[in-house]
Amino acid sequence: MAQEMIEGINPTRMELLKLKDREKLAVKGHSLLKEKRNALIMEFFNILERVKGSREDVEKTLKETYEDLTAAQIVMGDLAVKKAAMSVNESINIDIDSRSVMGVVVPLVDSEIKERNMVERGYGFLETSVKIDEAASKFEKSIKLIIELGEIEKTIILLAAEIESTKRRVNALEHIIVPRIENTVKYIEMRLEEMERENFVRLKMIKKTMEME
Amino acid sequence: MNSNIAVMADEDIVTGFMLGGIKEGHPVNDMDEAEKTLKELVKKDFSVIITTEKIGDALRKTINKVTNESALPMIIEIPDKTGSIRRESDPMSELIKRVIGVEMVK
Repeated sequence: MAQEMIEGINPTRMELLKLKDREKLAVKGHSLLKEKRNALIMEFFNILERVKGSREDVEKTLKETYEDLTAAQIVMGDLAVKKAAMSVNESINIDIDSRSVMGVVVPLVDSEIKERNMVERGYGFLETSVKIDEAASKFEKSIKLIIELGEIEKTIILLAAEIESTKRRVNALEHIIVPRIENTVKYIEMRLEEMERENFVRLKMIKKTMEME
Repeated sequence: MNSNIAVMADEDIVTGFMLGGIKEGHPVNDMDEAEKTLKELVKKDFSVIITTEKIGDALRKTINKVTNESALPMIIEIPDKTGSIRRESDPMSELIKRVIGVEMVK
């Protein structure tokens, strides 16, 4: 079996000690990274529960919303709707914070979107129809859903990237680095033992020749 | 933290979202304009940018660059009036599949 080793290592006791330290570190790092990976995947599953159907919800709501908007445009005309839209007050108050999941910074959105009645929105009643009220309230609802969806999707993307890189590191340690160090340690030990035996034989021979004289 | 929200889409959608109470609406007509506007919006530190799937597809490179660099801004793509683009594979479930190894959602 061809075993991979670290190249260019002298079979000395010094190197052996150094390598043993490195092995200990690698094994420790491996178990830590494994724990990190497991925690990340757990978090990932939690998020997956939330994403289920969230995109469909947004798509459905938006479709209805666009229909209402078109209806308003038909009744009032493009320009009038635009004019009304210009005078709408700002309704959204979002606060983006971040939280850390095992060192991955993911956004935490705290959105506060007021469900307003038509007086609070800020356009005049004279030139507007009831259709525009419906469209506006639907849009408010959609914005809320969209922001939620954005938060979830962003979290998934960030977590996925971190999981992938952690996985790769765990695998590299488990399948390449640790076995390689183990093999090198074994090789050095064997070489040292061999050298010891050679020395022993040499000593015996010298002793024999000395006795012969 | 600065938390602003902007919409970049075609004229009607921008009008709609302004009706919903977003102050920053940026109507764009073609993709060159969209790219320029997107870069400006990113520079201005908006934390949420809503855009349409069509624009998203056309500017995929720019968007990826922005989203890979930092957690903010979030760029959210929504379907436009013609409905959502039916893709062969949903990028989200593709990603999930790659990470978990098996298909989880749908």
